[in-house]
Amino acid sequence: MISQPRAFFAIDYGSATTSAALLGQVGGRWRLIAHTSAPSSVEVEALLTGLLNQILQTDPALLDQLAGGEGEDIRNFVAAWPRLTARSTPQRRIAVLAGSRRQRRRLENSALRAGWIVLGGSADEDDLVALSRLVLSRDTNAVLLGADPSPAGDEKRHLPDLAALVAAATHLRPELTVILAGGAAAFEMAFASNYDVRPNRAAQLAGMPDKGPVQTKIPALVTPFDETAGEAPAGEVPAGEAPAGEAPAGEAPAGEAPAGEAPAGEAADATRPGPTIPPVSETPTAHAQAPAAADDVAPTFVAASIPVAASVTAINSAESHSSAPHVLLAPDAEAGQPAGSSLQQVLEGLRALKNDGRLGVARSIASLAYVLDRSVEVIEVGLQGGLRARSEPVGQGHFGIVSSHACLAEASFAPSDPSEEVVDGVLAWSTTIQDRHRLIDRLNDLRLTPWGEADGDGAVFRLAAAKAAVARLVEATPEMAAYSMPELLVAAGGIFSSLPPSVVALALADLVRRAGVSHLACDQARLLGPIGVIEDEAERRSLLANLADDILVPLGSLILPAGIKYGRSAGHLRFKGPVSISEIELHPGAVQVVDLPPGSTAKIDLDFRDAVRLSDRGHHFSVDVAGGLAGLLVDLRDIPLRMSDRPESRRAALAAWQRGMWPEVDE
Amino acid sequence: MSPARRSPARRSPARRSPARGSLAGRSPAGRNPAEPLPGSEISPELARVAGRRIIVFSPTIRFRLSPGDRSLVVPGDSIVPGMPVAERTPDASLVDVGRLWSPVANDRTAGPSRPEKLEMAADEAPTSVWKEVDSDRAEAGWNSGPSQATKAEPAAKLPPRIVAAARDERRSPPVPGKWWVGGDERREKSVKGKPAVRVGGTLLFETHGRWRAAAGERHLVVESPVAGVVREARDGVEITIEVAGAALPGAIAAGEPSRGYLDMPRLTDGDLWASALDVGRSGAVVVAGSRISAQAISRARAMSIRGLIAGSVGQGELRDLAASESRQKASLAPSVPFGLIALDGHQRRPIATPVLALLAALAGREVAIIMDPPLLVFDVAEVPLPELPPDWIRVRSGPHAGREGRWIEPAGLYRFRGGIHLEGAVVRFVDETETTILPVSDLERFIF
Repeated sequence: MISQPRAFFAIDYGSATTSAALLGQVGGRWRLIAHTSAPSSVEVEALLTGLLNQILQTDPALLDQLAGGEGEDIRNFVAAWPRLTARSTPQRRIAVLAGSRRQRRRLENSALRAGWIVLGGSADEDDLVALSRLVLSRDTNAVLLGADPSPAGDEKRHLPDLAALVAAATHLRPELTVILAGGAAAFEMAFASNYDVRPNRAAQLAGMPDKGPVQTKIPALVTPFDETAGEAPAGEVPAGEAPAGEAPAGEAPAGEAPAGEAPAGEAADATRPGPTIPPVSETPTAHAQAPAAADDVAPTFVAASIPVAASVTAINSAESHSSAPHVLLAPDAEAGQPAGSSLQQVLEGLRALKNDGRLGVARSIASLAYVLDRSVEVIEVGLQGGLRARSEPVGQGHFGIVSSHACLAEASFAPSDPSEEVVDGVLAWSTTIQDRHRLIDRLNDLRLTPWGEADGDGAVFRLAAAKAAVARLVEATPEMAAYSMPELLVAAGGIFSSLPPSVVALALADLVRRAGVSHLACDQARLLGPIGVIEDEAERRSLLANLADDILVPLGSLILPAGIKYGRSAGHLRFKGPVSISEIELHPGAVQVVDLPPGSTAKIDLDFRDAVRLSDRGHHFSVDVAGGLAGLLVDLRDIPLRMSDRPESRRAALAAWQRGMWPEVDE
Repeated sequence: MSPARRSPARRSPARRSPARGSLAGRSPAGRNPAEPLPGSEISPELARVAGRRIIVFSPTIRFRLSPGDRSLVVPGDSIVPGMPVAERTPDASLVDVGRLWSPVANDRTAGPSRPEKLEMAADEAPTSVWKEVDSDRAEAGWNSGPSQATKAEPAAKLPPRIVAAARDERRSPPVPGKWWVGGDERREKSVKGKPAVRVGGTLLFETHGRWRAAAGERHLVVESPVAGVVREARDGVEITIEVAGAALPGAIAAGEPSRGYLDMPRLTDGDLWASALDVGRSGAVVVAGSRISAQAISRARAMSIRGLIAGSVGQGELRDLAASESRQKASLAPSVPFGLIALDGHQRRPIATPVLALLAALAGREVAIIMDPPLLVFDVAEVPLPELPPDWIRVRSGPHAGREGRWIEPAGLYRFRGGIHLEGAVVRFVDETETTILPVSDLERFIF
């Protein structure tokens, strides 16, 4: 008889830090017991041991209850309790080739939104040697060759050369994954024998002709990359240097099931009855094998789980040829609604790890929207990229959920080799005077040690870097601006977890500027990613229904009216508290904060002198708000935010707003 | 001067390194690199401090190749320092090679809308350069060319295996990456009064029966700065080598792989004055202290110094070096390889004392700077490892960056500057009696 677990760990292996949380059954429901984080190079065993030790010192009775009377052996709990793990997919690079610049831009857009680092070239603009260099580079993990379904003359004449170039590249780099999108699929046979003049023994034995390139089912597509070093390939990491937290290569053999199959733990969970049973994604046995395997830094082949795209052609070849290239036929760059979404979906699945934390956050948000019955938007920023996702219930009874998301590698808070635009962005959000070269050095060092200098000046710099990253994310997802302000706006990612809540609330107000009222929250324990890797939707919803109040730290509420005209006063706000009513004058161009503690709700009446747009256009509004660590923010600045182009004035304005929310910054 | 900026050189590494003990040679052989040294077990709290590995054994390094570049070695080859491993074509451009006979001489890339064309034009008879066995030419120098920049190596200097490989390659059918030599000279199309142009490079792809190559007139030989075994060699892609020996990992490396004797001059306030880089250090890899300046880089290159080692290097200096490198490559008289390695990052930090102690012990020996990954390789049989107490920590970032001391105890969740709450640790810096509380995330500990 297998006993039901009373507690399990949820671990988010981020690129910068590893976050671990203990979830346990208390009072008949799942609760967040405690959480912690540490640099990703720290072994997770040490992290979990420290976490349990803290619980033991704080509330031994609770630990005893979770352990079910099995003693107080912390090491045993660390080894025995199930784990739900998500991990950040390291940045991966795709070479986008097209016959024309127009087509290349479309393809690049899909690849960018799928989270790839994109380097593109088109035959009408670039030299074929330069394109070859792009494809043959060891940093390139995949090649996307695309064309219109009916290519016009400008790209049609280049396609044979491009197809031949890519096919030749796969001869030199058989590990390369090739995606032929749209009309480029017609050149599939260019990859047929791939210059292999040796007779195909398998085909000879079977008495079958050579069927060309190996095509696999999409979930079984494999591409090698080194997870231990992020963007660096495996060979770059000296033996034994792979950090424990960043070593899925070590866990992959045991924890990862063969391509196309779910891990054993997750498969078992799917069969479990009852909504309150947590999934077990990683068995203790699997984890025990991790350290030994982590020392092996040879290139790892990890299965990529891809969302099913109906328009994708997938043929399962009976032959297996280890050196044959993986060729995937994908829809063109205009397919799907919105245009390009089909190709984006394919590319995203190809890039992400099976238990990718970023996609897990997007899935959790969809489940959360159902559970809370409200529209939810999340902004997540990490070292390897960022995510913007939105989900909202639709239809009668709100049983349907409409979701959209985009992952962007360039939304990393510390991109590798930062461009001038990135540096300009950080400078634009910085409240301190910084030399441009010194800022680049700081950004590069932030990438090298993203967990370092999280206090004092370092925190101010990290805030500027995070805001610049969110600004890039918002700019790259213009379609989200068409939606109304979400009812719940969530900030996620380690960099937000380390900043004061009031500053995070202000950052959200600075960057997500749509008229409306929204509740602000932060995924402080970084649980949205691990919960999102639960495959069963009902199970995920059930767990989130238990945990929603625990995992989302309330930052407060944001009231963001549009159309405020400058003048002496914009109107008044009447705050009806439990025992008193207070009235506050509203000043245009200011961010006014009303103290409203977490857990409390209030009714707010707003009287504006001029007609403004909130939910709709009007003078008088009455809204419900919830409290949080930052309180109630009434943002009377312009939409979009307008600031002076002069650096001094801009810094002064930012510093003034920031000082109001973060007085300790001057300590 | 702030204590944080105190130079490790002012107080010599030997004095500053606690319990450094003897630098008795310890062989890397027979020891698992991941295995902690005896007696170096650490507490669970200290285990939460990020570990920094000072030394790695038998690392795998990589030489990146581009279209037009070829490997001169094959997997399994044992190489020694100075041995040619690759030939680069720095100015590779697209060359229409024409038709080459191939057992798979079908047009695979014409697409469904274009019929296959197997017949050849009368004036486009297949060139036979790949199947001719011209051993005289091969042995006269596989790398000859008209340019002065070309570094032609006489066959006598080449290992017989490389000559044999070149011969075998010519006997093989054309495939992408195969070395190809052509041009006016080979086609006997030289115009009177003009020197014949001979180009070489690697085949790229074939369309409609015609091959294209990335080829150029100039070629440069890349010599291995380390000894090891070739694990992978792919023309136009990369060569990976498993190094025989040990290495010190760095954070940033720039320039070219280089080799020289390790020179550790006296540092002033943790820095090396640029004037100390004189011609007497030609051929050396010099320890340059906490920071490398652009002036020091320029001077070092002018003095034929092979490399610089520092705690940090700024982005501006790296950009200057890259520009200088590209100018050198464009010139007809390439200089000796020069590389630099920064052990910590971009912002100024002194070199860690255990690392300084290691470098001091290796002074005078041959070392190599590797770019990919950033490593300082020392292929010595005995590696002198400084012995550190397990609770020895260094501040990696923050206002105390570069300072070292000992871990006392964890401080729990602590309020730091700016009202930020982080896990804290009580540490005692060297030469101080008072303790200091720092964020655990700012610390690092050393792992051998």
